[in-house]
This record gives sequence, C-alpha cells and structure tokens, in this order.
Amino acid sequence: MDGRTLFRAIRGGGGQNGLSELIRLTDVTKVYQGGITGALNGLSVTVEKGEFTAIMGPSGSGKSTMLNLVAGLDRPTSGNVVVGDTDLGKLGEAGLARFRRDHIGFVFQFFYLLPNLTALENVLIPAQLKGNIVPGRARELLDQLGIKEIADKYPARLSGGQQQRIAIARALINNPTLLLADEPTGALDTHAGEQVMELLGQLHRDGQTILLVTHDAKLATRHAARVLSVMDGKIVDDARLESPERAPSDVIRVRGEEASR
Amino acid sequence: MSLKYGVLGLLKEEPLHGYEVKNRFESMLGGTWEVNIGQIYTTLQRLERDGLVRPVGSRGDRGKQQYKLSPEGQTALDQWLAQPDSGPQQLHEDIYVKLLLATRIANGDLQPMLARQKRAYLQRLRDLNRLEEKARRDGRIDLARLVRGALLHTEADLKWMDELSSERFGAVEDKTV
Repeated sequence: MDGRTLFRAIRGGGGQNGLSELIRLTDVTKVYQGGITGALNGLSVTVEKGEFTAIMGPSGSGKSTMLNLVAGLDRPTSGNVVVGDTDLGKLGEAGLARFRRDHIGFVFQFFYLLPNLTALENVLIPAQLKGNIVPGRARELLDQLGIKEIADKYPARLSGGQQQRIAIARALINNPTLLLADEPTGALDTHAGEQVMELLGQLHRDGQTILLVTHDAKLATRHAARVLSVMDGKIVDDARLESPERAPSDVIRVRGEEASR
Repeated sequence: MSLKYGVLGLLKEEPLHGYEVKNRFESMLGGTWEVNIGQIYTTLQRLERDGLVRPVGSRGDRGKQQYKLSPEGQTALDQWLAQPDSGPQQLHEDIYVKLLLATRIANGDLQPMLARQKRAYLQRLRDLNRLEEKARRDGRIDLARLVRGALLHTEADLKWMDELSSERFGAVEDKTV
C-alpha cells in the first residue's frame, strides 16, 4: 500500500464525523529570548486526519512558530505536541530528525532548493536521507504536479511556480503523514500562487492532511474548510466553513436603483 | 440607474419585448440580480416616454410589445458607458453601526462581535470561491469576473475587522459622544 492509497483508506474509513485526531497541541508556550515576536502563549488545538486547515493571523502572531513545533523543527518552552502516536517532547534530536524525515513534508515561501542539483535530484533528497532512493516515484510526482519536463533542469532556470512545485514534490517524496506549508504562495505571482494552491487542494482531496499558514484569505477559504485565527500566540477563532450549494443570488447581489425615473 | 442602461444596452443588440428583456438581463447578470417583470415594464414605459426607445410594430400575441433603441437612446447609452462610476462610496455596513452602538451600550470588549463578523466574512469568501469555480466551469467568465470583485471586497472587509481587532476597538477610551 503506498502512501496515497493509505491516505484514501484512512479517509474512507473515517468520514466527515469519524475523522481521527492527528495533531494535538496542549497548552503550548514558546518564549523567545529578547522579544516576543512569534511567541506562543498557551495555545491548544487538535487537527484531524484528512483536514485542510489554514492558519491566519498578523505577522509575529505565532503562526509559523506553531507550524515549526508541529514539524519538530523547534521545541516548545512548555506544553505538549503530539503528532499521531508520537509525543515530540519525548524524542531526542536524532528521534526528531527521524520523525521529520518519516512523517513531515514542509513547503516554505522561498523554496530552498539546492542550486547545484537538478529538479529530480532535489526531489530525491529526503528519500536519500531515508536510504530509499525512488527515482520512479520522483518522476511520477513531477508528472502529477505538471512539471515532468523539467526533471533534469537546474532551479535557477525555472520560474517561481515551477520551483515551488519541485519543493512540493520534495515534501511528498516520503509520503508524509502531514504536509505543512508556510506561506507557499508568498513569493509567487497571483496565477502561479493559484496553481500551487490548486495542487494543495488536489492533494487534500486525495486524502492528504495539510496545515497551511497564509495571509491570503481568498486562497485559504477556497481550499481549506477550517480557518484558525492566531493572535498574540493564541488561537482566537476556529472557524469551520460550510460548502453548501448556493444560488448565485444567495451569495452575491448586484445592486441598482429599483427602477429608473 | 443601471437597470435603465442595462435595458438600453440589450435593446441595442436587437428589438425585444418585456419578458425577453427580463430573461436576458437576469441571464447576463448570472442570477445575481433578479428583477420582476413590473420593473421592466415600468422602465420600458419611462424610456419610451423619454424618447430613448421606440415600439416596433403592433402588439403581438398576448399583447407583447417589442421595443428598439432610438438614436437618442443610443446617445444616452454611449454617454453612460463613457462615464466612470463616481460619487460617494456606497457602504452597507450594518456591522459598523452595530459596533458603534455596542461601544456605547456595552462599553466593553467587542472582540466577540468582531470575531463573529470575521467568521461570516470567511464563510462568504468560501461561498464566493465556489461560485467563481462554478462560473468558470460553466464558461461564464463574465460572471467569474464579477465574483472576483466580490472576493476582493470581502477580503477588504476581513482586513478591516482584523484592523479593528488589533486596535482593540471599543476597549480603548472613546471620543464619541
């Protein structure tokens, strides 16, 4: 069973009301030396498998900190971070590195591709770290993301949208339990940003659990059915959005004077 | 006033009777503006009175009367199309009046009110996104553009709520009397 089928199985077995918990943050604080930017202040939240959750809030509110803690890239000052069955606080550095490698795919605003490697080689880095080199799978991912023709090109010759898609393929190569994306459209033009978000939406429809930090409420609400608002290191709102079929006139009305004189 | 000019614009394409004007107008607006047939007839009568449209032939079956654009109507339409939208911004911001009143009455923390409104705007963004997707699937690029405008307006509303939240609207000392 590959990762994708596994996700489908998890999703199919869960259903809308029977989703199982994947992430649990309990009373998490994060204190930074020399300033409060990005600090967390007693944040608690759970995220279920198969959810596409957007995290929104002002700069410095703690959104990225939250993502980094879930990714095991950083440790909380106090509180618990549990992903799946793993309490990240109980892992040492090597354990955290293994956890990240096996369970987390991370997409950043600025891609962070290695310039002296081709697109395909960049995608394969996490697989190599796992000792599981799968060029076939990498090519398949590039194909799914619509960029198979650039497999042998170097990042410098590619557009921002193409580079971000390579970064997404790299994040997916080890079939992560969780895909984390921190402003993945922040460095892209509108069109490329929409394409990248469309890809994330497709991955979610295929069962991928996604946590997305973004400033773009338009794009977030298009794909994510849940929006967490973070302010001053706390979650101040947890909006679960509905997706009913609505008549155009129930959503938008063009106004005019009732009748001309 | 754009119903009047909408009717003139449709009659520029070809002569139409009242029901055809209604159907084409609503279809053009993608169901975002429903007009009743009475409004259409009133508009046509006023346009005829002002010499901007003319009846074509005699009344057909069930008394249907077709109208066509007159040269004066053509001029009025051209002038209207050439004018930018101007005048005061039309706001329909119940929420702002609610906040003002709540500040006076509750004299306290308005964060819950702002949060509820923000959530409503998020839901509206999602509904608009779905409408835009549907419009594009149906090949209604014109409607998708309209929805795009509504998305941007709603995004601005959301940012406004965020600004009010971050300045702790209502919790600060207020200078209103």
